[in-house]
Parts: sequence; C-alpha cells; structure tokens
Amino acid sequence: MLLISGIQQNYARKQIRNNLERNAEMELIIKSIDVKHSLEDVTLALRNRSWEFEKFLHYPDSLFDVTRRIMEENPNFAGCCIAMVPNYYPEKGRLFEPYTLRRGEVIETFQLASEEHDYSKNPNFIIAAENDSSFWSEPYHDEDDLNVTLITYTFPIYDEYGDMAAIVGIDLNTEWLGKLLNSRHVFPSSYNLLLSGEGRLIYRPNGEIKHKDVEQIMGLINDSTAKHTISASGRVTIFSFVDWEDHAKGSVYYYTPNSIHSWSIAVVNYDDEVFAPLIKMQWRNLLLTFIGLLILSFIIQRSAKNISKLHQATLEREHIDSELNIARNIQMSMLPKSDETASRDDCDIVGSLDPAKMVGGDLFDYFVRDEKLFFCIGDVSGKGIPAALVMAVNHTLFRSVSAHETNPARMMQSLNETACQRNEQNMFATFFIGVLDLPTGRLRYCNAGHDLPFVIGKTVKSIQAKPHLPLGVMDDVIYTMQETTMTVNETLFLYTDGLTEAKNEKHEQFGVKRVEEVLKHSVENKSVASKTLIQTMKEKVDAFVNGAEQSDDLTMLAIQYTPKEKHIIYRETLTLINKVSEITRLNAFVKSATSALNMENALANQIKLAVEEAVTNVIDYAYPNDTEGNIEITIEADESRIRFILTDSGADFDPTGVSKADTTLSVDERPIGGLGVFLVRNLMDSINYERTNGKNVLRMEKQYVG
Amino acid sequence: MNTNITEKDGKYTVSLEGELDTAHALEVEQAMQPLHELSGKDITIDCAKLDYIASSGLRILLGLLKSAKAKGNKVVLKDLNDEIKEVFKMTGFIDIFDIE
Repeated sequence: MLLISGIQQNYARKQIRNNLERNAEMELIIKSIDVKHSLEDVTLALRNRSWEFEKFLHYPDSLFDVTRRIMEENPNFAGCCIAMVPNYYPEKGRLFEPYTLRRGEVIETFQLASEEHDYSKNPNFIIAAENDSSFWSEPYHDEDDLNVTLITYTFPIYDEYGDMAAIVGIDLNTEWLGKLLNSRHVFPSSYNLLLSGEGRLIYRPNGEIKHKDVEQIMGLINDSTAKHTISASGRVTIFSFVDWEDHAKGSVYYYTPNSIHSWSIAVVNYDDEVFAPLIKMQWRNLLLTFIGLLILSFIIQRSAKNISKLHQATLEREHIDSELNIARNIQMSMLPKSDETASRDDCDIVGSLDPAKMVGGDLFDYFVRDEKLFFCIGDVSGKGIPAALVMAVNHTLFRSVSAHETNPARMMQSLNETACQRNEQNMFATFFIGVLDLPTGRLRYCNAGHDLPFVIGKTVKSIQAKPHLPLGVMDDVIYTMQETTMTVNETLFLYTDGLTEAKNEKHEQFGVKRVEEVLKHSVENKSVASKTLIQTMKEKVDAFVNGAEQSDDLTMLAIQYTPKEKHIIYRETLTLINKVSEITRLNAFVKSATSALNMENALANQIKLAVEEAVTNVIDYAYPNDTEGNIEITIEADESRIRFILTDSGADFDPTGVSKADTTLSVDERPIGGLGVFLVRNLMDSINYERTNGKNVLRMEKQYVG
Repeated sequence: MNTNITEKDGKYTVSLEGELDTAHALEVEQAMQPLHELSGKDITIDCAKLDYIASSGLRILLGLLKSAKAKGNKVVLKDLNDEIKEVFKMTGFIDIFDIE
C-alpha cells in the first residue's frame, strides 16, 4: 500500500507540474500581451502627436513646449528630448536639444546640448539616425538624477519634405511595467522578471521577494549551457534551481514573444508553495486508496473479467469530460450578456452560440464604447481546448485593442500579429470586425477570411468586403477596411460556417442558399427584428438537420440599427476662433441655451464646464501655434436631451482614445494636465468622435429632463 | 474675475471672486505668481465668492499646492460651493487638498 501511495504521489507531482507548466504558459502569454499593449500606449501617445512635431519644426523655441506637454500628459515618462540633426537650425548653432525632465514632482525644461554633452555622438542617436527607424534601448541605470532603471524609446521625425529633422527620445521609468507584471500571481511568493534582448533586467522586483536569488536566476537564464527544457507546446523554456542562500527549491519559466522587441518574461515559482496542496492531501489519499482497494477487491471478488479495464476507461472519459466542461464554461462565460445593450434604443442585438459536443473555437462579441458599437465574429480552425485557447486570446485582444482604437483594419492587424507569433500548430482563425457609429450609421469593417455577413433592408445582400487571409496565416498581411452606411432599421446578419455546413442524416449541407432564402422570407414577412431573425433561422436549420448529431459550433449574430427620430426644439450654432479669450463668448452661448431650456443651475454649470473643456482642448491642440482656425459649436436639444456638436478642421485627434486620467494619485504623482477629456467624459452622458471629410467632429450628449 | 491677496498673522489669504474659466486663467495665474516665489507661509484660498472653475483653474491650484508643499507649507481651500466641490470629488482633487 505504501508503494501504491508512493506511485500515486509521484503521479500527482507530475500532474501538478504539468498543470503548472500550462498555467505558467497562459500567464506569460497574457502578460506579454499586457506589456505589448502598455508599450503600444506609449507609441500611440506619440503617434497622436506626430502632426505636432512636424508643424512645430518651423518654430524651434516652441519645441520646448512640445516636450513639456508630452511630459505633462504622460506621468509614466521620466524625460523627453528632441535632438535635432546637427546644424538643422543655423541660428541655434550646431547642436540644439530641447529637453524636459521629471524630478520628483517638478518638471524642468531646458536646452540639454552643449559641446561637452554632444548627443550626436550618443549611440542611441547614431543608431536611430542610421537605421531611420524607432527602437527601444537596452535598460540602463540612471545614477545622476533619478536613481531608477530607465529604457528609452527613440524615433526619428521628419519635416514636410520628408527629410529627417530630429531624433525624439522618451525615457521611461521601468517600474510601471514591473507593477503591471507583478499585479497578480497564482502563488504568494512568485514573481515576474522582464529581460531585455541582451538578457539584462528591465525590471527588478524589490522589497517583497522572499528569496534573494534574482542574480542566480538571471545567470541561469543567460547561460546557454545550463540544463533547460522546453514545454510541451514549445513556447516556454523551463529550468529548476536551488536557492544559494536558504536552499529553497523552485522553477523558472520564461518566454520570448517576438512582439515585444525580443524581450523575455519570466515567472519564478517555489516548490514549497506549488506542492503545498499535495502534502495536505497525502493522508487523505492514503485513506482513500485503502478504501478504494477494499472496494476494488470486493468488486473483483464479486464478478467479471476486464473490470479494471472498464474502470480505467470510465475514469479517463470522466477526466476528459470534466476538462472539456471547464473549457466550455469558460468559453461561454466570455460571450456578451444579452442585457449588455438592452438599455439602448438605437440598436437591437441578439447573438447565439450553440456549441457542438466538443468544445469549439467559435466566438462573437459586441459592446458599445463612446456611441460606437464594436462587434466581431470568428471561427478558429480545429476544435478542442487549443482552438478555445486561441479564441480566448483573440477575444481578450479584441477587447483591449478596441479600448483605444476605432479602425477595424488596425485592430485586425494587431490580432494577426499576435496570432502569428510562434504559431507552430498552424492554427488559424477567420474573423470579421465591425465598428458602427451609432449617431450616423457609418459602418466600418474588416474581414479576415470569414463568411460575408448579410445586410437585410428592403432586400437581402451580402456586404462587400475585401477577403484578406485569416488570422495566423502570415504575419505580413496588410488588412484594409471598407465602409458603408446603415439605414434605419436595416439588420446585419453574421454567422459562422456551423450554420451553412449543418448536416442532415444524408450528409447534405444547409448551405448559404437556404440561409439567404430564410432571410428573404423574413423580409417579405416584415419580421427582421434581431430576435425573430435568429429564432426563425434556428427553427429552419433544426428542421433541416432533423436530429442528426451537430459536428461544429453554430454561431449567429444579428444587429438591427434602430435610431429614433428626434423632435428638435432648440438649435443654435456659433463659430469661434482658436483663442482662449473666445471662451467668454462660448460660455455666454451655452448659458443662453441652458436658460432657454429651463435647466437648473447645477446642471447648467456642469454642461458649461464640459463644453468649455472640450473647446479648450481643441484650442490647445488642433491647430499649430500662431495659426488661426475655426471651431464650430452647434447646440441641439429635443424634449429630454441636449447635444453639442464641435467641428474643427485641425489635426486628426480622437479624444475618446485618450487613456483615462488616474484620479487616485497623490499630490506628487498628479500630472498638471490631462484632466480636460476626463471631465468631459464624466460630466456628459456620452461622447462620440468621428473624422469626416477632413474634420474632427465631437458629439456630447446629456439628458436634462427626467 | 477678481484675485485678491492679503497677508495676516503670517498667513496669505487669496480671495477668488467670479468665474475662473479658461479665458481668465492666465490673469489669475499671473496674480498668484508672487505666492510661488515667497516662502514660509501657509496659504488659504477663500472660495466663498468663486462661482465656477474649469480645469485650467484646477491646474493653477495644483501648481500652487505643489510649490507650497515643496517648501513645507500648507494650502487650505475654504468655503467651496457644492458644484465646485463636486468637480473636486470627480477629479480626485478632494483627496489632495485640505478643504475646510
């Protein structure tokens, strides 16, 4: 019995190790996506300003303000410099480098270059200038000013003739990346490390670490002769170690995704915590084994040959079934709940996913952000847990990318890059992403090899979309978006091939023709509401299949665009120029509207503040210094809601893509700027941005009655 | 928009009166500039007659708080009206200022 118990122990340890390997792999993949997106936030913050660099090149001294503004808006940045190509401004001498530095809570701006500090000899400058591209530096320790570890993001900027004008460098304190990585762990003493391509620590966790072995672990990771093994899927490298100081045993898993500049992420776990549940179970297992043996011997005595085989097979099946159940439950819980958009009167959405017996790789999702409906549908090749895992990753990415992006082609690009990383199993996914602007009905979409959705209005037709390759096939696919405008009460019908390939007992397929017929029939019966449409389609396909076993997930999504006509009782327009003194006129203009609509004082002041912040934002950023430009404000109200529409022809800028201000920081950490958009968002019920005909259009709405 | 600075019992009091919107922010910032340079005294900002404040106004107050704190002094905001208090709550400023 002791022998059995020992074997069981050994087996259980193996199982725990396997589970740990799988969990570590998931954790590292998800965290690498987190890191990737945090870095993308940095590059996005700069991309949003690229127009500014170009415009301000004409005014050398205004570049000081540019560096300062970047620092004020990005509390994670430690420094920002614009190192001009030598002799770019003859009047400024050979070297000119506006620089802003954060020292604690103080921001200092000054000219950094001098003959002693000659940036043109700095390796970062030389590499960026020669390679003509952006890059992330190796980490380095700043001992002079800040005593922290920094990394620098360096990129060239160009003047209007396309010539390189300067190299911009952004210094980042790596601590925020570290905080992000170490925000959650399965085991209390575990921690994450982030390593650069040359194997140096980008982030060193401090304080909370139980064992003091970071140096040893770094040494082992960088030592190619040490004994490392590769995980079953081939993504993660593993080795175990014994701590030099207190002899604790542990294991390290590390992963190098190619999306983050050949950086690696590692997670360190300690055996005493990993196997803690096992030791607890030891005695119980012994008892259970004893009872199990008694029962088994009783059964053997009682009857039957091959009973042990049968027993084994049942156990295995139960094991697989329970795993599939878990995966299935996770998959289903990720789908949007039907009440997510129930409160909206401008769209009516119903989705349905009928899983095949095996867990599959279908997905749909939708949600509204800033009066835009983001939706997607997808189907991963293959079935089972690997397909579900790929879908889960795509789903997470879809949600995280759409937090600051409204262009479906760029979203698709991002999903594809991740899907192509280390895709040894050659899994691919067909995917369709749409973004519907609810105030205007403008629908932008991008298709990656998915079945074309139908548009159901007076007639039924499939939407026109470039096909593109599915996600995960090739990493250099350029996705493009197409667009159309949805008219009132039109319905979009999306589905996966589980619908068209549903089979009856004679192995005939339901087929796209039948789908189209059902939809046409619905148009004739004037029953194109989303719920009815999905129900009808389900009934028809069920009748066709007639009880044959379902072999693939069957997924459908119907989106009806149902904007309501508004009875306008107030409409006025005012045109301002981009000067702060114009705010006085603006406030009087808003006041006359809120008075005419009999709003109480508190509400009127909230509205005034929101509009002032939105307009100030345009005055500050839309047009380059010393350029005059117009801002048009239209106020429009129906019986219960007031709407402000700001239009300017300045630089392309989407304020709804700006990350949210952190209002929990202390005095020292609070950046001076960055509150404007935050206030607009909080004071208004909704905001919405569109770039139309070369103009920025920002809509803000607030309910003022009831 | 009026900005009045008085000194009494080793303390500065700034009385703000009117609407501190973006159009008036520069004027108020300049009026308060001396407070950044003088040190060693606590500052009370009397908001009893302040009817409205935009984020450009909040910036000025935050700037003043940062420079006073660096010198070890306090900034106290007094008699905020309910609407302005609401804006302070929304932006988290309520937690970083002393409010009476």
